[in-house]
Amino acid sequence: MDMAGGKSRLTWAVNLFAALLVLLWIIPTVGLLISSFRDRDAISTSGWWTALSASEKNVIERALAPDQAKPEGDLWVLEGHVLEGQGVTVTAFGITSKEPVAFTPGDTATHARGHKITVRADGRYRIEYAEEPSESRGQRLFVRAETPPGFTLDNYREVLFAEGMGRSLLNTLTVTIPATIIPVLVAAFAAYALAWMEMPGRALLVAAVVGLLVVPLQVAFIPLLKLHIGIGLGKGYLGIWLAHTGFGLPLAVFLLRNYMVGLPGEIIESARVDGATDFQIFRRIILPLSFPALASFAIFQFLWVWNDLLVAKVFLGTGEDQVVMTGRIVDLLGSRGGDWEILAASAFVSIAVPILVFFSLQRYLVRGVLAGSVKGAAV
Amino acid sequence: MKKVLYASAGVLALAGTGLVYGWLTSETRNEGEEWARHEASGGEDLSHETITVLGPWLGPDKAQFEAVIHHFEAATGADVQYSGSDSFEQQIVIDTEAGSAPNIAAFPQPGLAADLAAKGYLSALPDGTADWVRDNYAAGQSWVDLGTYAGKDGNPAHYGFFYKIDLKSLVWYVPENFEDAGYDVPQSMEELKALTDQIVDDGGVPWCIGLGSGGATGWPATDWVEDMMLRTQTPADYDAWVANDLKFDDPKVVAAIEEFGAFARNDAYVSGGAGAVATTDFRDSPQGMFASPPQCYMHRQASFIPSFFPEGTKIGVDADFFYFPAYEGKDLGKPVLGAGTVWAITADSKGAQAFMEFLKSPIAHEIWMAQTGFLTPHKGVNTDVYKDPTVAKMNDILLNADTFRFDGSDLMPGAVGAGVFWTGMVDYAGGKDAAEVAASIQSTWNSIK
Repeated sequence: MDMAGGKSRLTWAVNLFAALLVLLWIIPTVGLLISSFRDRDAISTSGWWTALSASEKNVIERALAPDQAKPEGDLWVLEGHVLEGQGVTVTAFGITSKEPVAFTPGDTATHARGHKITVRADGRYRIEYAEEPSESRGQRLFVRAETPPGFTLDNYREVLFAEGMGRSLLNTLTVTIPATIIPVLVAAFAAYALAWMEMPGRALLVAAVVGLLVVPLQVAFIPLLKLHIGIGLGKGYLGIWLAHTGFGLPLAVFLLRNYMVGLPGEIIESARVDGATDFQIFRRIILPLSFPALASFAIFQFLWVWNDLLVAKVFLGTGEDQVVMTGRIVDLLGSRGGDWEILAASAFVSIAVPILVFFSLQRYLVRGVLAGSVKGAAV
Repeated sequence: MKKVLYASAGVLALAGTGLVYGWLTSETRNEGEEWARHEASGGEDLSHETITVLGPWLGPDKAQFEAVIHHFEAATGADVQYSGSDSFEQQIVIDTEAGSAPNIAAFPQPGLAADLAAKGYLSALPDGTADWVRDNYAAGQSWVDLGTYAGKDGNPAHYGFFYKIDLKSLVWYVPENFEDAGYDVPQSMEELKALTDQIVDDGGVPWCIGLGSGGATGWPATDWVEDMMLRTQTPADYDAWVANDLKFDDPKVVAAIEEFGAFARNDAYVSGGAGAVATTDFRDSPQGMFASPPQCYMHRQASFIPSFFPEGTKIGVDADFFYFPAYEGKDLGKPVLGAGTVWAITADSKGAQAFMEFLKSPIAHEIWMAQTGFLTPHKGVNTDVYKDPTVAKMNDILLNADTFRFDGSDLMPGAVGAGVFWTGMVDYAGGKDAAEVAASIQSTWNSIK
């Protein structure tokens, strides 16, 4: 009994801890998601957790220019609407920056220059001048307004079409899909050969591949780019596919080889006895059996290439048709660094596809990684 | 078929900048056409040339520069491909090292251009360019000096041509807030300090200061210190400081840092308190001036900052600027701090030469001037093309300066000017002792000599 109780208490603790970790990751993500649907003013005046309730904000708006005032009796009158079309309720107003909320809606404020100003709760204002005004600079109206909660898709529209994220999404896909498929293909062949084809120096080859895992890819950038330019490849998609393939292969070969080594040898032997060639064994037996490992590596490679900035900066050009999403977001940080709504929306455009891929393939991820590593260790 | 396509693409491109052209041709002396005619007759045919340009501009700045490019393309038939990068400093190093350099690069920091020149990656500008700059730019010799670097062989040559200047010694404010409170624009540093105290006495907060800028956090403070150096020490001392002949931990420099601290480290002077200075993003910090009620009254920042003002802010109406004044009690004239982009040829070609030639023409300056945010020391341009009078006012500050000095941190070695000077200023804003910060910056400088 005691032991069972202790165990359940431990399980509880583990579960609680896991829930806490999930919460820790989810909260900022949700905040970012909500912010990406709010407009700039809302973000700067209230937190995302208040997004569902009405918020109060202080706004400065310029009234129409005095020289547009129309005569009315012996007065000159300007009429207009602050925060038009936003469905706000004015709760206080003022006419100088020293006292921005001095008057309640409907009161009449008298400016130092003599004109009288009234702002009503629905946002309509009326300014009365005793003589025809000639100024072209409109009176500033300081308004405290209650804004109903509102969400907008404008951020996404702006990010995708005006800021070029749409184009960059295509560029990223152009980089990522071949840069995932090519190494998976090549590595599958190599892994089969290293696992099941007898040849001299096989162990050494495997050791060499494992050794390559520890080479930092940064040291290869400039020499590799020089090589690309030297052989006329230049900067472009072909170059980055090759680069990602090269950088991804050691891990891919290692993972897949470890997995394939663990497949039951009897099946392969009997296929050999029946006269199957190596290629037939690879295609008919190994590939279908290795699917979890292939999928898990494909997810790894996909995520890594998708989120890569450095390799893209080096091997791709800087033209509009070659800037990937990570690069675009870095540029946005510079040009729109103060616009949280734009950055939040860009971040979500960029993580949407990886999330989709992860959720649709996640069962392979766990199975493949565990299968590969555990059996590899056993060998 | 292909020609038709190109032609229609050209029409589309021109339609986008049509406003600028219409405005220019009706109001100016038509240099544009002159330049086009000159190129068409005397200049070489560049219709098969592609010229790649790499620069730091993105967003609105990029669109404005593309208007300049369109004019060059229309005049010569060349195809100019501009790409902007926020990580220009890294990109240009990768590209030159690997041999995939653009034809022309626009460096925001002369220090980096000098580094690349020393490695032999830049081509010297054609003979006579230096003379041209001397004759046609205000304070021409200083622009030549700033663009002259030692090449791979160790011999100095003129590599860099300045096009697009930023003015740094500006204080931004909201004129109506000043009117409401009854404040006047200060004419001297003494008056500025008195105004700062008066705002505090009236219950307001005088300054908005933000040093945050991602990986470059701290740079706005280096501008403050440089401005303070120019206002407390002679230009010769400033030059010696930039060259490290005057050590960073010299009492003169420490005093300049403390002048900055007098504003930034006083809780009552800064919006959000002194603790917020280092963490507020420089792009967010001017927002406080436009809040209701105002969170601050003044913001010292370079001429580019209106890009980060709230949407629809009209310069001259909703916001304005005054010259960051000098001490009346010190006989140092009216020093002005600035920065600029220096253009250099990174991969020589006929087209690159022609484009650099084009940048000398007044029209190349006027097209950008007619848009926004462009200052130039070119004496031959028609300043009437400035759409808004405030930019013309800035250019006047530039042309009338007693002393013009380039942003010192951009001229210092990268490890200092774009490294410990930034981080040191963040430490200082956070409460570290000025002498200690200066000593640690100097020790880094010693270590890279």
